[in-house]
Amino acid sequence: MTQHRHKSSMKRTQQRMAVLFVLPALAIYGLFVLYPLAMSLWGSFFTWKGLRMLDFAGLSNFARLFVFPSSARLTGALWHNVIWFFGIMVFQNGVGLLFAWLLFLRDQGKGRSGAAFFQSLFFFPAVLSPVIVGALWRLLLAPGGVVGWALNGLGLHEGSLTVLGNSQTALMMLIAVDAWNWMGLPVLIYTAGLRQISGQIFEAAKLDGAGSGRMLVSVALPLLMPAIGTLTTLSFINTFNQFDIVYVMQGVQGNPSYSTDTLVTYFYRLAFGAEGAVGITDIGLALALGTMLFLILSIGTLLMLRFFDRRTVQL
Amino acid sequence: MSTFAIQTRLARLPGWTVLALWSAAVLLPLYILVVSCFKTTAEIYENRLGLPQSWSFDNFANAWTRADLGQNFINSLIVTGGAVVLTIVVSALAAYPLSRYKLGWNGIMLGLFLSGIMLPIRLASVELFTLMRNLDLLDSLTGLILVYSAIRIPFAVFIFANFMRVLPSELDEAARMDGAGETRILFQIILPMVKPAVSIVAIFTAIAVWNDFFFPLIFIFDDRYKTVPLAISVFVGQFRTDWGLVFASLAISMAPILIMYCLLARQIREGVGAGGGMK
Repeated sequence: MTQHRHKSSMKRTQQRMAVLFVLPALAIYGLFVLYPLAMSLWGSFFTWKGLRMLDFAGLSNFARLFVFPSSARLTGALWHNVIWFFGIMVFQNGVGLLFAWLLFLRDQGKGRSGAAFFQSLFFFPAVLSPVIVGALWRLLLAPGGVVGWALNGLGLHEGSLTVLGNSQTALMMLIAVDAWNWMGLPVLIYTAGLRQISGQIFEAAKLDGAGSGRMLVSVALPLLMPAIGTLTTLSFINTFNQFDIVYVMQGVQGNPSYSTDTLVTYFYRLAFGAEGAVGITDIGLALALGTMLFLILSIGTLLMLRFFDRRTVQL
Repeated sequence: MSTFAIQTRLARLPGWTVLALWSAAVLLPLYILVVSCFKTTAEIYENRLGLPQSWSFDNFANAWTRADLGQNFINSLIVTGGAVVLTIVVSALAAYPLSRYKLGWNGIMLGLFLSGIMLPIRLASVELFTLMRNLDLLDSLTGLILVYSAIRIPFAVFIFANFMRVLPSELDEAARMDGAGETRILFQIILPMVKPAVSIVAIFTAIAVWNDFFFPLIFIFDDRYKTVPLAISVFVGQFRTDWGLVFASLAISMAPILIMYCLLARQIREGVGAGGGMK
């Protein structure tokens, strides 16, 4: 009886302590993340004057988003994000898989020592700020920069290098810089995934006469589905949030002539006044774009997680 | 030596070259960055790849004082340190009851925190700006510390809860019998047991906060409160013709992260596997 009462009083203390302990984190997280996000979604259904919310407007902000001149910016930016995503999937996650596989093959048989060095080296750019990385490559790729000088010296290019000023090549350059920045991430995640696969499976494939290329495609790849899923989802989220590299290398307009504009740079211009006449904001349009982007990101992420979950091979 | 061993040795050869090429692709830009810091702009144009004629620290001195990177550096240290400490304290406090008490609402609350790991908070920046203005937190390092902590709390709670959940329950029960309070149990018994979690949270919060550029861009207008990445983004345009100075300021701004990375490369590699909690 006393035992029971003791227990229930302890339960009450625990409940009280738990509330006290959770409260600071919940208050900060709720006030600075959940509340502004909820208000942004809600606000996209209203008309705005400057930073003041006026009347309920239904879907009219969203409709405006798809009408000229916004429609041109929107489709351009969306398209660049899509290209960016596929570029990263091939040049970062695809090449990264190759690197991870080479590291894995090297360490098979020997003790696993060499891989750590390459992993650390390849991952180093990923701990740098995209601002630093973008600024560095902007200097290297500038007309008169070292890359142009080297290409001239090797006879691969004539005259000054204008890849960042050319709307045909600028986006590709930014994707390449982003891939340089984050190459270490797929290398780390894939090598971790490969090490979890039992060595016996590879031994069996070897006995069946499979070469290393064959082994990668038919044996390792299906077993790497969770790693591929993680990377695809992360790359999707990061690509559709892309802002820093564009801002530092090409300015917030996504120069030249909007050829490197992304959804978040467009959002930033609408929200903080650099679209059209400088200083004029269109909060309604910005919030509608934000809500759309929020939907793209959440639905896309959920679909991807589900897609890769179904394809995970159980052993 | 079996034919099999010879075969794998041959197969390794092109692999080596591929890995060496990418290593060069990572190291060459960084090498150029380092040597250019010590060169004048004219020398950068004349002598692209070689070592500088003299190891002059003029560019560093100019970046630190003339471009006032020193102040930015101190601001970044304050913001990063503040956000790391605040994130660890409040997240550990929250994760402890959520992972070790039977409350009935653990699941829901953890889910609420976890949903924040994926939330695209940049899209809320308009409302966040209004909120910060109303709280008088624009142009304020405290404001940045609060926003960064809020963004990093979900990941930190996730990591702490995962590590704390697996500790044996006798640990806190025995301490409770001895009359220790819950705060003491958490900070003197539980937290020291989950040191790897503390270091993962500290490292990844520090990297994310030190590198961030978006929130200073929208919340900081006064030069006195600018952080390093924001200052750098201005330098690149402002000192466009003074390449040596820009290279030196890039080197200064990556120095703390570089030092941390050299010391903690192994923890960082393992931490990426544990949560992928970058960015």
